[in-house]
Amino acid sequence: MRALVIDDSRAMRRIVTGILTNLGYEVRDAGHGREGLDVLDEGWVPDLATIDWNMPVMDGLQFVSAVRSNPAWRRMTMMMVTSESEHTQIVRALAAGAHEYMIKPFTADAFRDKLALLGLLPQEVAL
Amino acid sequence: MTATPDTGQRRRTSDSRPVITDLIDEDTILAVAGDAWISLVGEDEVLVPIPGDLPFDVVSSWVDVVGPWTGSVVLTTGRATAEALSRALLRESAPEVLEDEDVEDAFGEIANVVGGSIKAALPGPSALSLPQVGHAPLVRNPADVCRVEVLWRGEPLTLSVQGALPPLPVSH
Repeated sequence: MRALVIDDSRAMRRIVTGILTNLGYEVRDAGHGREGLDVLDEGWVPDLATIDWNMPVMDGLQFVSAVRSNPAWRRMTMMMVTSESEHTQIVRALAAGAHEYMIKPFTADAFRDKLALLGLLPQEVAL
Repeated sequence: MTATPDTGQRRRTSDSRPVITDLIDEDTILAVAGDAWISLVGEDEVLVPIPGDLPFDVVSSWVDVVGPWTGSVVLTTGRATAEALSRALLRESAPEVLEDEDVEDAFGEIANVVGGSIKAALPGPSALSLPQVGHAPLVRNPADVCRVEVLWRGEPLTLSVQGALPPLPVSH
């Protein structure tokens, strides 16, 4: 399975990449939404994208909207991973097309539980 | 029709704005930061609410909150402690040599996460800025500050939730 990690913090990209790699994912990362779209434009469409909200150049909500406007990327699951925790923000993200919402800070176990809920744990890990 | 005399009450009420101590207390800041530490830095990592003297060479990271209350959530500690924090945050993902940029990025992300949790405890809606690292923003109104001093691994660290606006002029 493939995952695209989009976050302007290198530290957070490393942490999320580490969790996903340990679960067996092939991971690429991007520092903002525009870079994320560039990866998709190359034809590297992941099963999962984890997306920060507040980023320079293109924020997470703009990225989600851009992905949703392209039918070729429809099968990709999008999970916001952000410190924005107001209810209205969560509703906005889900309305824009995000599938799941993870509030920072989180633990590796909480991250894994979210993936299990989404049916996105690689088979050998889920067993 | 009876004319209502203008006592100025309505104007004074609308001109008032909350200071941070009306909205949040030190215990809440400590609880929020403690939760962030456990999740980000490690399960055994605790913040001990004991004041300590910051070293001369300090660095701050902060995020701005803009909403019904406007200000910054600021973390300040010694540079060596900021580097240790960054290593703890990155754990096995930490590079062998931690560049200044890595420390700024990781320390900024900690402020981002703590700031997001503090924002959630404040009246909204509010917007959160991208994190910044450097010299802490100046305190504009000493009455609009809630500050917690803690020790992490025995090293001092302060968390300051401080308003960005100067005090309102006193009406007579």
